[in-house]
Amino acid sequence: MEYAILLAQAALNGLVIGAMYVLMAVGFTLTFGIMRVVNFAHGEFYMLGAFTAFFTYVYWDIPFVLCLLIAAVTIGVLGALVERALIQPFRGDETSAMIATLAISVIIQNSAIVIWGPTPRQMPDIVQGTLLLGPFSFPWSRLLVIAAAALIFAAFWLFMQATRIGRAMRAVAQDKEAALIQGIRINTIYPLAFGLSVALAALAGALMGPVFSVSPFVGLTPMLKAFVVVILGGLGSIPGAVVGGLLLGLIESFTATMFGSLVADILQLLLVILILLVRPAGLLGQREV
Amino acid sequence: MRKLSKIAIVSCALSLSLPAVSAETLKLGVLATLSGSGTAWGIAMQGAAELAAEDVNSRGGLEVAGKKYTVEITAYDDRYKAADALTAVNRLIFDDQIKFIVGPLGSAPALAVLPVSTENKVITMTLAFTPKALSPDFPYSFRPVIPTDVFSDPQVKWVVDKLGAKRIGTLYPNDESGQQVSIANEAAYNKVGATFVAKEPFERERVDFVPLLTRVLAQKIDAFELDGNAPQTAGLLVKQLRELGFKGPIIRTGGDATPDILQIAGKEAAENIYVHQAVDPASPVMKEYTRRFEAKYKVPMNAFSPFFYANIQALFSAMKQAGTVTDTDKVRETMLGMSNFATVLGKVNWTGEAQWKSNQQLDAPFYVAVLKDGAPQIVARCNPTECK
Repeated sequence: MEYAILLAQAALNGLVIGAMYVLMAVGFTLTFGIMRVVNFAHGEFYMLGAFTAFFTYVYWDIPFVLCLLIAAVTIGVLGALVERALIQPFRGDETSAMIATLAISVIIQNSAIVIWGPTPRQMPDIVQGTLLLGPFSFPWSRLLVIAAAALIFAAFWLFMQATRIGRAMRAVAQDKEAALIQGIRINTIYPLAFGLSVALAALAGALMGPVFSVSPFVGLTPMLKAFVVVILGGLGSIPGAVVGGLLLGLIESFTATMFGSLVADILQLLLVILILLVRPAGLLGQREV
Repeated sequence: MRKLSKIAIVSCALSLSLPAVSAETLKLGVLATLSGSGTAWGIAMQGAAELAAEDVNSRGGLEVAGKKYTVEITAYDDRYKAADALTAVNRLIFDDQIKFIVGPLGSAPALAVLPVSTENKVITMTLAFTPKALSPDFPYSFRPVIPTDVFSDPQVKWVVDKLGAKRIGTLYPNDESGQQVSIANEAAYNKVGATFVAKEPFERERVDFVPLLTRVLAQKIDAFELDGNAPQTAGLLVKQLRELGFKGPIIRTGGDATPDILQIAGKEAAENIYVHQAVDPASPVMKEYTRRFEAKYKVPMNAFSPFFYANIQALFSAMKQAGTVTDTDKVRETMLGMSNFATVLGKVNWTGEAQWKSNQQLDAPFYVAVLKDGAPQIVARCNPTECK
């Protein structure tokens, strides 16, 4: 029974962390799938999302759903502008574009330190209390993250499948030239895809703000994890990001619960090396031709 | 005759134009953690220095050997890291020509800084709990705060007797500062028949403790020890422990983190927590100091602050008596010679000879408090041998 409690607790925590990784990795892999750019600034947009939610929730005192919406829209628009101004000039030159995103990351993080200071801020809980199911206890604040992440991902999936822009994005990801011939405007699709991608990161940041804390440095770990997730799931594959994100969250939680945090870190990285050796394209990725 | 009258006029003019004592500047350095999870302690130290400077300057400056000195504070952030602390101490000593430093803060930074400050005869006032911070090798190192290896024995004995707790769980940061406190606490618990049945190290940057706490709680612990974790971390630990359904007592045998615990975990989660309480918050002098601090810094005052203020009070008094602001040997000797010196903490003395062969530990009473309705209530008064 005690073992069951331990496993249930580890599973829940794994799903919470996994849900955050999914949102991060889906955006990350979207940018790569469509634009062939590895966005090193992805973690900074997560941080900006967390700060936007923090300020709107604490100072404006508005419902948290609105805070999420504001974070997604403002950071999404900012992302689209950044793409237009700083990444578009390097189209076709993937290495320079990657270096540009690295520069954007440093600029955003240092500006955040200058403006908001380096001290972590505590965001009040959105929901309080714990769901008690027999011997199991699940904090509502963490259940909320899973539910919200699932809804956000469902909306994103629907957008990609059912709307013209979503279909156009998928077409560009599959074959840029063919999409051009069909009359898809790449110059419109790229900033939109980038904006959508960083809006997902911002939503992840906004959701995790109340669970942990908010500071200019919070984006680093999720960014590194997003890397691991897309390697696990396959670079450019959205189903791969979902499977990889949940898998990594669960592995991380179970190993830390069973063996402690130091062993957990070792096991995770061993897994990544193993996957790279056995399936270099990732679990659901396709080998580049 | 004409020459004489000229001299008389010039000396008259001089005596009119110059004040009775000339104005000079006395620089005091602050070397502490001003960003990241140890910030609450760093601000406490910086605040003590700035308030002490404000007090002296508002009276026209510190008068030493016929000169009035305006006190100026220069503060640097060490980010709780030894390498950054070393850079900062070199800047303070060589660029800013400072002879008196409030700091260093953490144990790892202290071990990096003390050889340099000692070599340059710079007086330091550290918060580091490591036993290595006071030693005959570091004759200029003073410690105004009471460290774990002084308060852990009496406090742990009192708390364990009261709660009857035998199985203790803990998490500690995996570095010199974290390990030192954890070792002292484990020894104190073992002495009174309780054991750490679950203890886990973690990297200082960690914010999600749920997997580790789940692991600790699986060991059926009677109480959780917050150890010397930084204030922010202590707050997150309490929050996440209570979210996991742990209702048992939580013990804080480490530096003051009460304001952060209350802010992060909330009043309700912070019930049934036994904390080391450095000062009596009900004393009128302390109330006034707290009010001033909080009005100026807009954050809850950390209880370490008045200890540094008391040490600076002793330092200023020693400078006056010794008649110098540059000869640190004389200032040190004069400060060590002071007994029953009246400070913001009440009357204080120096101790530590038996424990560290260095009599440079500030001696003041301390307390055990329990958190109730969002405030610490003192439940025991302690000295290094017992709490009651």
